[in-house]
Amino acid sequence: MSAIANLVTAIFITPEQIGAEPHSMLWLLPLLAAIAVTYKATKVPTITAGVFIKESALLLVSIVAFITITILTLYALVWLINL
Amino acid sequence: MAQLSKEKHTLFLLFVGLLGWFIPGAGHFLLKEKKRAIIIFVTIGLTFCTGLYIGSIGVIDAVGATPWYVYAAQIMNSPMVAFLGHITAAGGFPVYGWPNEIGQIYTSTAGLLNLLCIINAIYLAHIRQTQTVGSATGGD
Repeated sequence: MSAIANLVTAIFITPEQIGAEPHSMLWLLPLLAAIAVTYKATKVPTITAGVFIKESALLLVSIVAFITITILTLYALVWLINL
Repeated sequence: MAQLSKEKHTLFLLFVGLLGWFIPGAGHFLLKEKKRAIIIFVTIGLTFCTGLYIGSIGVIDAVGATPWYVYAAQIMNSPMVAFLGHITAAGGFPVYGWPNEIGQIYTSTAGLLNLLCIINAIYLAHIRQTQTVGSATGGD
């Protein structure tokens, strides 16, 4: 029991090693999923597994698509400015 | 009599809000929205714990360089955050760079999501009470 408690404590008192690399932005995805699920938990009138998962997935995909379009637009703008 | 009922209603809304703050999803649980309560509890709990896992409990920094609004958002998770803030206040859990930023983003977003759920629970409680009174008095 003590070993488990020590392990759990160690997990939460030692920071992870995350560098400033492009793939570090993937940490965004679980957060987006949490936002989509919580938002839909407050909005769906009646919660059934099928409807809830579908609505949450749709919102998650919408947010990711919007972010991707914004990234591509900004990237294109930078490319045009540097021409 | 109506005044007393109104006061009780306000107290009930306050109780729902406080319960939702102490335990994420508990406000909805009180309103017999068990599925919503479980989803909210698990999602907000996991998001908060992910933030602590990435940046350690050092991301909860009430007295250091963290802007006040980050701590304000974090404390919306639960009053337990104040206890963690008390532990980290001595500066024994330093965390810098991206782990600090990502951890703060996760924990403060979890807090803001819980604020959304608290407001939603209060709104649901208010709407139900209004509808009950409306149907009892024959109003629409």
